[in-house]
Amino acid sequence: MKTVAALVSTSFLALAAGTFSSSAIALDAEAAKALAEQNNCMQCHGLRKDKDGPSFLSTADKYRGKANAVDEVVKHLTSGRKIKLADGTQENHKIAKTIPPNDAAQLKNLAQYILSIQAK
Amino acid sequence: MGNQESGKGRFWVALRRPSAKYSLFSLLAIGFIGGLVFWGGFNTALEATNRQEFCIGCHEMKDNVYEEYKYSIHYSNRTGVKAYCSDCHVPKDWTNKLIRKVKASYEVWGKITGKIDTKEKFEAHRLEMAEREWARMQASNSIECRNCHSFEAMSAELQKKLPYKKHMEAKAEGKTCIDCHKGIAHRLPKGYKKPGADEEE
Repeated sequence: MKTVAALVSTSFLALAAGTFSSSAIALDAEAAKALAEQNNCMQCHGLRKDKDGPSFLSTADKYRGKANAVDEVVKHLTSGRKIKLADGTQENHKIAKTIPPNDAAQLKNLAQYILSIQAK
Repeated sequence: MGNQESGKGRFWVALRRPSAKYSLFSLLAIGFIGGLVFWGGFNTALEATNRQEFCIGCHEMKDNVYEEYKYSIHYSNRTGVKAYCSDCHVPKDWTNKLIRKVKASYEVWGKITGKIDTKEKFEAHRLEMAEREWARMQASNSIECRNCHSFEAMSAELQKKLPYKKHMEAKAEGKTCIDCHKGIAHRLPKGYKKPGADEEE
């Protein structure tokens, strides 16, 4: 019984922490759009339309309701991981640049923006 | 009054009268050397205004755009090739350089009158200033970018596939660098909206 209570309380805490971390900073959509534009994200990603890469909406759908969504998207933006293009070839994803470099707040804000896209 | 006029008259007469004292050679030599010194001096002064130290002599440049440029790939990179302010913002050919310099005197006027002397004021005018510069680059077919970069020199093997594809599409469509590459050395202005962004949604 004790273990169950501990488990419940830990998961509650984790959930609370997750919610807290993703909503700690209010989303600044204008700043996120500017950063996306600056990094030419929209060359390959549509907001709601798949291009060479998936749309922001499909990324949002993929992560909807997941606690680690923001961190996962930030990782995607910053690690240059291998991606599969629409034509099946693979290459490393561009690493998003911020001014000043690797500014966690700006990257998080962009990730939150991507995750906030809803179907029309 | 009459005296002054006759003084002026004498000056013109003296100027137009062939020299009896100096040889044609010495006159030509003095003219030639004088011309060299004047031209050299003028160009040296013009070049001096192209130096980074001159550009960031104004705090408006130093505290805003220069700070951002310091983090860009054109400032610091793997191979150590650097593009200074004037490499992107001042045409290389003489006529256009001179035109740009004359236009820049309006910017000096802005500096004197304090139009953008605080960060807030600079930000308030940033979009308008950036749009003016983008229009200039568009009109010149991004010549300052192309002084170093060219579609022809992009290697299909060495450039990433997707950017290569985009670049070749852009080449076929006759696009110019600045069409896609805005805000590469400085922050994009707040309120900037890419043309046709709504349709893309």
